[in-house]
Amino acid sequence: MSQSVLVVGGGPAGLSAAKSLASIGQNVTLVEKEEILGGAPILSGYAKLVPSGEWASEAIGRMVRSAENSKSIKVHTSTKVTELTGEPGNFSAKLSNGTEVSVSSVILATGFTHFDSVNKPEWGFGSHPDVVTTTQVEQMISSGKGVHCPSDGRKPDRVAILLCVGSRDRQIGREWCSKICCTVSANLAMEIREELPKCSVYIYYMDIRTFGLYEGQYYWRSQEEFKVKYIKARIAEVTFDGKRVLLKGEDTLVKRPISIPFDLVVHAIGMDPNIENQDISRVFGVELEPHGFIQRAPAYDSIAGTSRAGVYVAGAAVGPETIDDSIAQGQAAAMAALGMATNAA
Amino acid sequence: MPIHEESLIRPENLRKHEELNIDNVDVSGHWSTFIETRSVADYNENLEREISAFPGGAYIHRCWQCGACTNSCTVNAINPDFNPRYWIYLARLGMEQELLRDKEIIWQCVSCHRCTHVCPRDVEPEGVMKALSHWLEAKGHTPKSQSQHFDEEFYQQILETGKIEEGRIVRNFFNRTGQPLKQPWLIRMVKNLIRGLPIMLMFKMGLSTLFRPKTKDWSKSKHSIEELIEMRELERKKILEGNEAS
Repeated sequence: MSQSVLVVGGGPAGLSAAKSLASIGQNVTLVEKEEILGGAPILSGYAKLVPSGEWASEAIGRMVRSAENSKSIKVHTSTKVTELTGEPGNFSAKLSNGTEVSVSSVILATGFTHFDSVNKPEWGFGSHPDVVTTTQVEQMISSGKGVHCPSDGRKPDRVAILLCVGSRDRQIGREWCSKICCTVSANLAMEIREELPKCSVYIYYMDIRTFGLYEGQYYWRSQEEFKVKYIKARIAEVTFDGKRVLLKGEDTLVKRPISIPFDLVVHAIGMDPNIENQDISRVFGVELEPHGFIQRAPAYDSIAGTSRAGVYVAGAAVGPETIDDSIAQGQAAAMAALGMATNAA
Repeated sequence: MPIHEESLIRPENLRKHEELNIDNVDVSGHWSTFIETRSVADYNENLEREISAFPGGAYIHRCWQCGACTNSCTVNAINPDFNPRYWIYLARLGMEQELLRDKEIIWQCVSCHRCTHVCPRDVEPEGVMKALSHWLEAKGHTPKSQSQHFDEEFYQQILETGKIEEGRIVRNFFNRTGQPLKQPWLIRMVKNLIRGLPIMLMFKMGLSTLFRPKTKDWSKSKHSIEELIEMRELERKKILEGNEAS
């Protein structure tokens, strides 16, 4: 096990892969393009995580510290991989900081990019300050400032959460379900109701996909304990009536147009392919699937495989993924990479 | 010339004027027909609280609109406009005007409880139907139903004496609902009673009509029941008047 395994990306999947390899003495080179480790939960300032309810800074913070303190993991932050040459079992990777490492295999944990709501202009993001994203509300909560209207700082009496913003929408070329937004929104709705008991929260949906056990913990609980209201309607337009943000659409169950004022409108933004996936595809020689995520090899033959032998992938790089599953996939990729490292030795 | 599209518009949304002058332009006649918007302009957030304050309505916030209640409904099989699923939705979102359009049929629930047995979320729709009817009465949208008069007479007698006396209930019920006491079926029943001559029974009935006996030690029970009712009604009153925060 003299050669190192290269892990690209320091989010939940990458940290999990690095930690798993290090736990059995395998040397790891962990490359992160940002200045700090932790990935989206840390960089975007998520609040309480699903399903543990732990603060992201604490839960993911533990993973970061464990990687930083490990003797087997060499961390390069503010660094990218610029070139990967060689064969499975004997790759050579050039890093942007000038280092060159010899690695037996590569794990891509390059994650995703949040959907940018300005690409859906009819829903008012960017034209009115009180239209925000789930990520911004997470930040309001995690920073301790609390949920408020950015326009004047007041506490909202009525909040709308719009689901499937940047998901399941052929008009903007994003046909996939981002998988986590329903659960995240139900969780946020409960956090808002907990902080502001007099504030009503409405969720506008096409379908609710709080899959598996999240059904009871998030969808049912948000209704039964927190009286969050779910309305089946895809909003047509978000405007401003001079005082509050106006939501226009059709209430599909009443078959009537609605035009309802809200203090705060939240976009439940989806997960896009990492904006740098074209570069990643070129540098690592891996194919992308039609939506732009990294193409996975059939799971039956090679768990965590890509189109290139010796290069593995884990987490939201292959499509929308939860934090828990990204962590599990990180360990699966570590096992696959380890097989490669051991055979090569 | 009649405008046939008018038939597509809810009559209450049509605004007609025999004579109308706008900015010195005479628009009398058909040109003065206007249509109120169908658009729902706001949610009445107190409505859900109001209806859940009535017995049976406590679980409406659980509803996810699957429609199992309406599908299983005995009355819906006869009258497709009888739609508990829809009314629960209107109550939750506070679409009061929409709800009042159906006030003449909401109370027609026969309490077969099939909806309550099929509901996957334990909303207890049968109870919601009761709550809706009581809400309509309390808000003065519908007059008290006959069964409501009967219930009131029944529990008032219980409250006073701890007992019921059938003759008094029947008399007062007819009195409250403005019906004559001389009902053919009642006359036949009394005649049969006299013909059969159950002397002791008639003697007891006569006695209790005159003296109205009470259950032993009833005053204590009466006091605590009254207290409970008063407490509940006060809570409900607060909510109906909109003084109750969520």
